[in-house]
Amino acid sequence: MEKQPGEQAAAEPADSGAGGGEGGSPQVAGAQTARPEDRLTLLLRLRAQTKQQLLEYKSVVDANEEKTPEQIMQDKQIEAKIEDLENEIEDVKIAFEIKKLALDRMQLSAALKKNLEKINPKTSVLMDNMKHVLKLNKLIMKSHQESWDLEEKLLDVRKKRLQLKQASESKLLEIQTEKNKQKNDLANMENSDKIKTIQQNLQMEIQITTVIQHVFQNLILGSKANWAEDSAFKETVLQLEKNLTMI
Amino acid sequence: MSVLRPLDKQPGLNTATILLVGTEDALLQQLADSMLKEDCASELKVHLARSLPLPSNVNRPRIDLIVFVVNLHSKYSLRNVEESLHHVDTTFFLGKVGFLITGAGREGHCSIHRNTVVRLARTYRSPLLFCDLEVEGFRAAVAQRLVRMLQICAGHVPGVSALNLLSLLRSSENPALEDV
Repeated sequence: MEKQPGEQAAAEPADSGAGGGEGGSPQVAGAQTARPEDRLTLLLRLRAQTKQQLLEYKSVVDANEEKTPEQIMQDKQIEAKIEDLENEIEDVKIAFEIKKLALDRMQLSAALKKNLEKINPKTSVLMDNMKHVLKLNKLIMKSHQESWDLEEKLLDVRKKRLQLKQASESKLLEIQTEKNKQKNDLANMENSDKIKTIQQNLQMEIQITTVIQHVFQNLILGSKANWAEDSAFKETVLQLEKNLTMI
Repeated sequence: MSVLRPLDKQPGLNTATILLVGTEDALLQQLADSMLKEDCASELKVHLARSLPLPSNVNRPRIDLIVFVVNLHSKYSLRNVEESLHHVDTTFFLGKVGFLITGAGREGHCSIHRNTVVRLARTYRSPLLFCDLEVEGFRAAVAQRLVRMLQICAGHVPGVSALNLLSLLRSSENPALEDV
């Protein structure tokens, strides 16, 4: 590795006396009057330089103040610390990228603004585009509003329908309960004992009357009388034929 | 072995020093001459070296910017630069180191692939410049760029620091988030 380092210091100062890159060495005659200004600008430049260099040194000192711990830590702690530091780095990187993007955006918008303020025929296309965009945006907003209104109406109609449905449901329920009540009452009535005894009595009477009818029929037939001749007699016989169970 | 540190000396007043490291002496000399011809408000000092480490017996001013010159035609220059990189302190790579690649114009003579140097620059997170140092016009252009970079690295431009310039020089193909 011990190569022959031939170092040549080509130190020719290219110093242009007047600040701001005004090339050409200051001439003797004209330099007398220009020297105080040169000196002043030189001093100001030196001031700016020393400020910047001081800033750099300060930042290096600040960066070096954060020391890594010397003591021996466990593996897991070290890993956790490494992860924390890496996360910090990632956060700073992301923040930086975002700031860069924001700067770019600002630059772009500034350039765009400047461009717009310039000559008209070139920017007319841009202005037309922007106006078109604005028009479309207004249309979009209007149609959004309309669709919102329509949706509101639809919602109202649906609500009403729901209410009506619920009302009809309750009514039908009422009707059903009433019918059921009637049926139950009827069944109750039919099942009650009173009616049964009445029915039995009725049956008994009908049977008795039928027996009496048969007796009278047989009486008349047995007497061998001609009941067809007398109309009143005929009516009585025919009445006896009536089947009382059918009534 | 002496290691180059960026801030171990006080800066000279209105002075900016650049160190060009490379094996091609003639090219380095021509580049140095072009740089000194540039108009610059501060005093420029150009040091040339074949390789690091520099001899410690010489009293030299604080070095603000190191540019490693690699010639794509010779593998020896690349190896030389790689070995010299070990003698540079890590804090130098915060914007005060640059790589200059020459000889990319003639594809037939290239023995090093372009990707090798791109990877090298990416490893060291430093800006990479391509220039054909044998052509006068290109040399003048790159000399102008180097003078501007040198002024920023020396702190002569208020508001911009070397680290700032490093983040600004990162192109969109090589975004900061992609490498961990």
